[in-house]
Amino acid sequence: MIDLLDVHVAFGEQDALNGLSLHVSDGALLGIIGPGGCGKSTLCRVISGLVQPDFGEVFVHQTNLRQCSRQQLHVVQRDIGVQFQNDALFEHLTVLENVSYPLTRLTTLSCSEMEGRSVEALATVGLAGFENRLPNRLSGGQRRRVALARACITKPRILVCDEPTAGLDPQTSRTILDMIAGIRYQTKNTVIVVSSDVVGLFSISSRIALVWNGQIIEEDTTTKVRQSERAEVKRFLDDARLPFAGWTWD
Amino acid sequence: MQALAQFGSIIIQLSTQIGGTAMLLAQIFRRLAPPRFDGAEFRKCLFTMGYKSLSIMIATAFVVGVILVIQSFVFVERYGMRSQLGWGAGFVIIRELGPVLLALMFSGRVGAFTAAELGTMTVTEQVDGLRCLAIDPISYLVVPRFVAMIISLTSLTLIGNTVALFSASIMGDLMLEVDHHTFWSSLFSMLTPADFMLSVTKSALFGGIIAVNSCFFGLSTTGGAPGVGVSVNKTVVFSAIAVFVVDFYSTFVLG
Ligand SMILES: Nc1ncnc2c1ncn2[C@@H]1O[C@H](COP(=O)(O)OP(=O)(O)OP(=O)(O)O)[C@@H](O)[C@H]1O
Ligand SMILES: [Mg+2]
Repeated sequence: MIDLLDVHVAFGEQDALNGLSLHVSDGALLGIIGPGGCGKSTLCRVISGLVQPDFGEVFVHQTNLRQCSRQQLHVVQRDIGVQFQNDALFEHLTVLENVSYPLTRLTTLSCSEMEGRSVEALATVGLAGFENRLPNRLSGGQRRRVALARACITKPRILVCDEPTAGLDPQTSRTILDMIAGIRYQTKNTVIVVSSDVVGLFSISSRIALVWNGQIIEEDTTTKVRQSERAEVKRFLDDARLPFAGWTWD
Repeated sequence: MQALAQFGSIIIQLSTQIGGTAMLLAQIFRRLAPPRFDGAEFRKCLFTMGYKSLSIMIATAFVVGVILVIQSFVFVERYGMRSQLGWGAGFVIIRELGPVLLALMFSGRVGAFTAAELGTMTVTEQVDGLRCLAIDPISYLVVPRFVAMIISLTSLTLIGNTVALFSASIMGDLMLEVDHHTFWSSLFSMLTPADFMLSVTKSALFGGIIAVNSCFFGLSTTGGAPGVGVSVNKTVVFSAIAVFVVDFYSTFVLG
């Protein structure tokens, strides 16, 4: 369970989050949408304990991230898998080593068990046979998939994916979103996905949150968000060409 | 008015950087007692920073020794100070030129590389990836580099000093007909252990400075790939300035 209450984050004079409140219940698949620079990545970093808010409270599994000790924060972070916007793959490690890295750090599994689980995770994201490549010899979509496999290798109770589909063609983008939905379905864990593929996100999410200027201006089930009367929501969804059934050029 | 504002902003920037490096240094020391850092990373750093810099450092040191003798040619000839050449070369190389020139070389090679490496890791969120796995970036990335750079630069300077002295003695024999015996006996009779200690202390200090600078600028990189370039540039410039400042004070204080 994640609760954010009136969270403010500023970088110098630039406000990134501006009184954001959000509740995510266990097992939800929350899709986060919003225009560029509205604070989606910052929101992900706050949830994963990488950024401390200037004001406001952040609760993850009943732990207050603003007031807990370093050890408590580490305990919470062990249960959060994050896929970063820039992949964040360790360039000097092979694909297999990248994926098994969290296991070597956070678990006491034997080497063969770790390798088995990593190979399995790579197969789940469709990268069987790529184990010994270095990340700089992968395509953008393949890198995303390695990052996804690494983020969920420890079966974290919360999986945060920041733009897993950015810069990918629509087909690959949809494949990756489907993989995330598959992981959520198998593990029944909480998943938070930021994506600019609004159509794809609506098709997999149980709930959608729209971030606007550092605040969440709409958070509801996909159907409710689609029917929202708020001008900003309508405009954003129109721009994403979402509910335009029967739309043609003429 | 604008000049004043500019001056003020430079002062603020400078204070941020000095304060930031000082804080990083404090964090490093906190993790050194008792030592808590990654052994594998440390060995890797020692290999890339020390062993792999060996050839370039030896080449630099060799040329330093040669140039020193060529430069002193005129004076040695004019005043007939052949018997003092070993002392002169040893004094200059061990106390000053060796540590400083090799530190500048080291900062250009290893410091710049470290800043680029950590900078890239920062802008591609690899450092955040580590923090997410509850790995402390200072213990894992900074402390091994700090210790490795101090050890590497100190040993490289010891080796470099020796090479420079040998090249000076060879050059002295060839150019000034100072035989090896005269060279080495004047060197060992006039130099004291304090001179050697000064050399070692200086290079350890320089190693620490370059390490803290490069790690600080690397980890505080912002703004993507161009930001990495900026960090590398700052590392080399600030390391050079800091090396000279510390050189001045350590020569003053330690004699
Ligand atoms: N490290 C930083 N330093 C300064 N400003 C920052 C930093 N990180 C983010 N910001 C600012 O905070 C705001 C929110 O940034 P954030 O990265 O959260 O946006 P975003 O919604 O993820 O954007 P995008 O969709 O382009 O990824 C932006 O205006 C950005 O300029
Ligand atoms: Mg973002």
